[in-house]
Order: sequence, then C-alpha cells, then structure tokens
Amino acid sequence: MSEALLQVEALHKRFPVSGRRGAMLHAVDDVSLYIGPGESVGLVGESGCGKSTLVRLLARLLDPSDGRIVFAGQELAEIRAERFARCPQRASIQMVFQDPTDSLNPRFSAREAIAEPLRLLTRLSGAEIDARVDEVALQVGLPLTLLPRYAHQLSGGQKARVGIARALAVKPRLLILDEPTAALDVSVQAVVLQLLAELRRNLGLSYLFVSHDLNVVRLLTDRVAVMYLGKIVETGPSEAVFRAPRHPYTQALVSAIPGQGPRIKLSGEVSSPIDPPAHVCRFHGRCPQGEDRCAREAPSLRRLGAREVACHFAA
Amino acid sequence: MNAETWKHIRHVLGENPVTLLAVALFALFVLMALFGPSLVPYDPLASNSAVALQPPSAAHWFGTDALGRDIFSRTVVATRLDLGIAVSAVAASFVIGMPLGLAAGFFGGWWDRIVTRASDTIMAFPLFVLAMGIVAALGNTVGNIVLATAIINLPFYVRVARAEANVRRGAGWIEAARLSGNGDARILAVHLFPNALPPAMVQVSLNMGWAILNAAGLSFIGLGVRPPTPEWGILVAEGAQFIVSGEWWVSFFPGAVLMLAVFSFNLLGDALRDIFDPRRRT
Amino acid sequence: MSQPPLLEVRDFGLEFRTRGGTVRALEGIDLQLHKGEIVGLVGESGSGKSVLSYALLGISDRAARITGGSAVFGGMDLLSADEAVLADLRGREISMIFQSPRTALNPIRRVGLQLQDVLRRHAAAPGVDLGRSLKERAAQALRDVAISDPERRLAAYPFEMSGGMCQRVMIALALACRPSLLIADEPTTGLDVTTQAAVMDLITGLARERHMATLFITHDLALAADYCDRIVVMHAGHAVECAPTKSLFAAPLHPYTARLMSSTPGERSSIVSLEPVPGNLPDLRRSDLPACRFAERCERATERCRRERPRLDGRSAHGVACWFPLREAAPLRESAHV
Repeated sequence: MSEALLQVEALHKRFPVSGRRGAMLHAVDDVSLYIGPGESVGLVGESGCGKSTLVRLLARLLDPSDGRIVFAGQELAEIRAERFARCPQRASIQMVFQDPTDSLNPRFSAREAIAEPLRLLTRLSGAEIDARVDEVALQVGLPLTLLPRYAHQLSGGQKARVGIARALAVKPRLLILDEPTAALDVSVQAVVLQLLAELRRNLGLSYLFVSHDLNVVRLLTDRVAVMYLGKIVETGPSEAVFRAPRHPYTQALVSAIPGQGPRIKLSGEVSSPIDPPAHVCRFHGRCPQGEDRCAREAPSLRRLGAREVACHFAA
Repeated sequence: MNAETWKHIRHVLGENPVTLLAVALFALFVLMALFGPSLVPYDPLASNSAVALQPPSAAHWFGTDALGRDIFSRTVVATRLDLGIAVSAVAASFVIGMPLGLAAGFFGGWWDRIVTRASDTIMAFPLFVLAMGIVAALGNTVGNIVLATAIINLPFYVRVARAEANVRRGAGWIEAARLSGNGDARILAVHLFPNALPPAMVQVSLNMGWAILNAAGLSFIGLGVRPPTPEWGILVAEGAQFIVSGEWWVSFFPGAVLMLAVFSFNLLGDALRDIFDPRRRT
Repeated sequence: MSQPPLLEVRDFGLEFRTRGGTVRALEGIDLQLHKGEIVGLVGESGSGKSVLSYALLGISDRAARITGGSAVFGGMDLLSADEAVLADLRGREISMIFQSPRTALNPIRRVGLQLQDVLRRHAAAPGVDLGRSLKERAAQALRDVAISDPERRLAAYPFEMSGGMCQRVMIALALACRPSLLIADEPTTGLDVTTQAAVMDLITGLARERHMATLFITHDLALAADYCDRIVVMHAGHAVECAPTKSLFAAPLHPYTARLMSSTPGERSSIVSLEPVPGNLPDLRRSDLPACRFAERCERATERCRRERPRLDGRSAHGVACWFPLREAAPLRESAHV
C-alpha cells in the first residue's frame, strides 16, 4: 500500500460533562483511519455519532484527548489547535462546511472570503492573490461578476461554490467536506456533486466526505467508514458496503434509505455516550441480532478481506 | 468610502423620515459644538445687570438670566462642553469595554468570569450614584466627569460584545476563519468585532444621550463642572429657582435643548445600526 | 365510483406584494384530496408548496393576496371563511406539522400542558372520548405516536427530548383531536435517515388507521415515492404533473419531473450520469415571465410555451401541464380514488 496521506491512530476525544463531576462524554472513541493520496473516503453516521467531532479533530480545529494524527509523515496532534493556524501545514488540510450561509462571514464579500486564506497562508502579492481568486472562482464555476457580492446577495448554490473556492484557493492536499450539499436543493446538489467529482479528478485531491446521504457517499467515494456512538463499526469499498453491509447498524442504515425495500426497524433510543461501559458493544440494546456475548465483550474492528467490521456476527 | 457605501447610506436615510430627522439634528448639534462659540451674538460670560431676567425678545432669543447674560449664547456655547464630555466618555467605554467583552464571550472560562463579575459589580450600584461617588472622591473636574461616565457605561459594551462573541463563537465562518490561518487575536479583531458593531452602535448613541444627561445631572447638583462655565445642567440649575417666580425661560430653553440633544442621539442609534449592518444592503 | 374530494382547490392563485415587486407565488393550482388518501406535494424551494398550504389554512403572510380560484374543504369555502371559523377548523379538522419540531414547540412549557391546551381548545371534537380527563387524553395522544412511558414524558420540557421525539410530540399535538386532513410540511427534513423512516412510518400508519387525508410536502421525490399514493409536482408556482406514484415513476410526462428524477443520486451508477435541471428558477417578480414557467429551462420549449400556459387536467388519471409531454398523456377519466 502506498504511503497514506493521513493516518489516524487510536484517536480519542472526551468532553467533560457539565454538572456531573468526573463524567466524560466519549465523542470519539479509539478511531483509526487512513486516507491515501488521491483517495476519496466517506464517513457516514447519524447525528450524535461523533463524525462532526472527528472531522474537527482532523481539521485541527479541536485537540484530541489521545491518539495520533499523522499527515504526510508529520505528527499533527501535538500541535495545539490555536497554534496550528499559523503552521505551514494549515494550508494542506481545508474544509468545506455544511451550511454555506453559516460558513461565510456576513461582512466579507465573496472575493474577500476567498482571498483571506491566501493573504494569511501564502506569500503572494496583492495582484497575485487577485489573480488566484479569479482562477479558483472559474474552476468552481462561480462567475467573476459575483465576487464583489456579500453572502446575503448570493443564492445557496453560489454560496456553496464560494465555500469550495475558499477551501481550494490555498491548494490543499486533503479536503474535508462536511455534508456540503445537505442544505442545497436537489438540482443544485447534483451540480455541486459533479463539480466536486471533477475537481478531484483534475486536481488530484484526497477527500474525506462526511454525509448522512448514503447515495451521495456511494457515488462520490472509493471507501467508506461507518460510525456509531464514537466508534467506527465498519469500513470497506463504498459500493460493496452498500450492496452488502456486514454490520447490523450499517444494514439498518442502508435499509432506511427511501426505495431500499423492507426496513429494518431499530428499537429503543441511542445509548448514552457519557461514560459508556467499555466491555459492552455500543449497539447492544438496539441491535436486532444482540446476544449475551455482546454485553460481555465489546467487538473490535476485525479485518475481513477488504473490509473491517466490529461485530461478533460478521462472517 | 466607495460609491456602493454612499448609495447604501442614502437609501437608509431615505427609507425612514425619522432617520433623516435624527441625522439632521445630530449634524446641527455637531455644527453648534464646532462653530457655536464663534457665531454667538453675545459673550456667554459677560454679565449686564441692566438687562437681568428679561423674557425672550428679538434682542435675546432665549431671554437673559439673573446676571444679564444671554441665555441663547450660553446654551449654544455649552454644546461644545457637553458633547465633548459625552463623546470622550463613550469613546473610552467603547474602546475598553468592547475588547473585554469580546474576549470574555469568545474564550469563556476564568477570563469570562472575571470580566462579568467586574461588570456585575458596577451594575449593582445605581449608576448615577456611582458616578457621584467617583467624582466626589476624585475631585470636581471635567476629566473626572468623563472618567465616571466612562466607568458606569462600561458594562453595556461588555455585555453587548460578550453576547455577540458567545453567539458567534460556534458559527461556521469562525471555524472557516481558523482554517484560513487566523489566530485568536485576529479572529476577535477582524471577524468578530465588525459583526458586533451594529448592536454596539445602538448602544453608542443611547449612551451618548445618557452621558449628556449624566454630566448635566452631576453639574446640576454641584459636582463636576463649576459655574460660570456654561453647561446645560448648570444652566438648568441656575434657572430652577426662578421657575416659581415666573421667569420660566431661564431653565426652559437650556432644558429643551438638552432634551432635543438626547432625543436626536437616541434616534440616531437606529440609523447608525442600519448603516453599519451589511445585511440591510439589498 | 369515487367520492367527492375532501379538499378541492381550483385554479388557485396567490401573490405577495413586496417592496421589490409583486411575487406571483402561485398560479392556476388545481389539487384534489380524498378521504384517506396520502398525496405528496413535491417541489424545490421556491416552488410554492409551503405557500399553498399556509394559504389553505388562512395563515399566509400579511403581504399575500389571493388572485383567484377557490379552495373548498368538506363543502366549506376556505377562502371566504372568517377568522373565527378558520381558527376553529385548525387543529380540529385540518392540522399541520412543520419542519423543525423544536421551533414548533413552546420551549418553556411542559409537553403535557401543550397537549392539554390543544385538547381544551377543541373540547367538543367529535369522536373524542369526553369521559376521560385532559391528562389521560394527553397521555393517550403520546401513546398513539409510540412514545414510551407517556405519563412521565408529559412532565418533560422540549429541550429534554431528542429531535425525533420532539417530532413525535408535534405529531401528537396535531393529531390529538383527530383531524380529517393533515398537512405535513417537510416533517423529516434534517432528521437522520433512520429517524426519518420511523417518523414517516408513524404518520402514514396513523393516516391509514384513521382514514385521514394527508398532504405531504417535501423536496425529496424518493421519499414521496415510498409513502404517497399520488404525487403532485410543483415548479415555480405551477402544478406541473399529477399522477399515482407508480405511473409517475414508470413514465414521467413533464420534462421537469424527468429531470428531477435524473438529478437525484438514487439508484444511479455514477456521478457523471446525474443530469441536473438546467438554468435557475425564474424570478417570480418579473412581468415578462413566460406562460409556462419552465420554458426557459426546457430544451423542448417553443413559442407556444412562452405565450400560452398549459393547464393540468385535474380529471385525468395522469395529468401534466405541458404542450409537449414526454409521452402521450393518459386518456381522460374520473380521478381514481386509491
């Protein structure tokens, strides 16, 4: 296997719970992941599974409690988040956010928003920065006439493009996309997805594509990781994971997509991420296949060919 | 300022006649403060017992006071002092209060606790009484009036800035700013501060009105500016004793001008907020 | 023989007077809903689907003006009814559930009390058991939406509950008085896939059980396909196609519907095969809007499309508002009631 661009090992993130002394919320629990150069990896899971936290750890907006984040051979977890903003690696990892409106400073014009990372992270002159802004705006299909506009003067699709242009301006190697089309209309979504696919082809980027829309992930990613309550429960090639999911949670998730036939109903509520017992499978209690063994021994992520599954019953 | 900004300002002014009125009044007061002393018909300090306590007439628009001084001239000249006090005090509050509030709201933790406790302590006092106390303790000078007014207004800016920073702390564009290479200081200064300006602007104008009232109030009770320096509060105080005996104009005109000034500042707040808020641009 | 429809909207038009111009939000809408039928109203943002439902309930924005047409519910004219009559109708006969449950619930009032408010307001609703106390009926309402341990939940505040549970509470509020028509305005947008499935199962289950007509508004065509008997597709304030779900997906007649289908990932094999809808929604404030509002985005458009508005034939089994539908439309016959 060629050297990974991003290698995550045993990453943990725990938050203290206000009001209860000593209790910790395990948002990300022992996550290991790798992304190769030019590879697109999907991350799926429902709200509360920890994917937002994981993504912010990898983008170095948050500091992990434990674990290693190795990017292009360099250990990043040791550098504190506030200091990372001025680190040379900052430009290599960029992010596109879910809500295009929320991710643009209302007081900045589109041009200013795209130019800012260039001003802070590169040594380009003013004229070079303007030229680069124009170049990347055209790459994402944003008409140059829209650049002087403010966020509230742009449509949803246009704002999404500004967000992508801003992330691409500094030529990152890894682009993290946090549900980039969730807030967009269906027809605009299609356009943006095609744009993202094309950009990856042309620029040779790696993607970490987070989404709850499994169809989108299936089309846009080579591999996918499924998260549940802070843990990765299954990984594998995207198409294979959706056609034949091995973990019971993935199976339920796939069956819940409209048009996927009989639904696997999950009973009960998601168990609490606060101080979860270490020896119990996180999915136990809702899992249609649960057994006593699941309450005594938490399954670890086992390799099965090209797949990894954290379940006692995966063949 | 570019053409787009002027167009926006004209639009805001045109939208609401009250806004235009407020801006016009404010402009009038600024002009009075700047040029008043050179343009008034009489020397504000010159007394002339022969014309003492004259009602308003063609020669003396606002009448004369007990020492024969022209009230109109005194009122106009007082504008410079009152406005000066108000502007300095509010500027000081703003410059100190906003950064403190932004930092408190953004960082949270013990920084937040210290700033809010200090702010709460100030607000625990009836503010005018606190101002009185400060001036009485430090001495009757204009400088101390400014200081006292600045201190009692601090909590307003701290609160506004803290609320903005707190709300926006988790916003996507703050995270995007970090990704773009902004350190904490730059985020506060370049990103958060301009977004906290619109509500702060409303505070500024309300505070200006309040600061003028504060200064006038302190002078009225004898703290702060001393006679014969013309100052609206002193002018009202000097005329207070004559109301019952029928010479109403001695207090009335300075009081009316004072009221008008505060009124125009309050109205100005909305106009300023509309001008500063980019979301109001169509 | 089909029954008369419960809700009949004919040639309905609505516009908004704004400072930027008059927005012709809806034009010539024909819609029918029968008792027990689940109809999906599908369209993108700006298509007018929510505007239509608010207008039917009489809760439109104040800038709204009805430009024509009629809306009759159970024999009663909704558009000319006065506010007192409509207020009585809302919650008792016609109910609505909204997109974000947290904003629909009062955050400082306990859930049980909110339910009791609704029950008390419509105390004389037929079919409701008057013998039990309000508290018991509130608990029953929660039980109907599959909330476990309802007596304990009555005392909870909305912030103590998850998004999915808040949604269920909102459904309970809407259905407490057993209305005959439920309007669900994007009730699952923003919810997780599994929660979405559970909520939709709940709504459609209750609808079938109580023979309740349901108008399900969404932008997600695939979701509508899974749950609705009939689908009405809207574009820029027009109803462009109306058909039973199977027929719609087997053979969409309107170019917009076909494009909508081909722009969603769904069962596609690759990103490249996605075909987005060309162009943008026309600005509805324009005075020079083409008669068929899809004309500027349609590769089949001709001069006729710009001059003359094609009408949706409400009586046809598979109605389409297009001069050049993708296939021949089904022959005219009485609207089938599923």
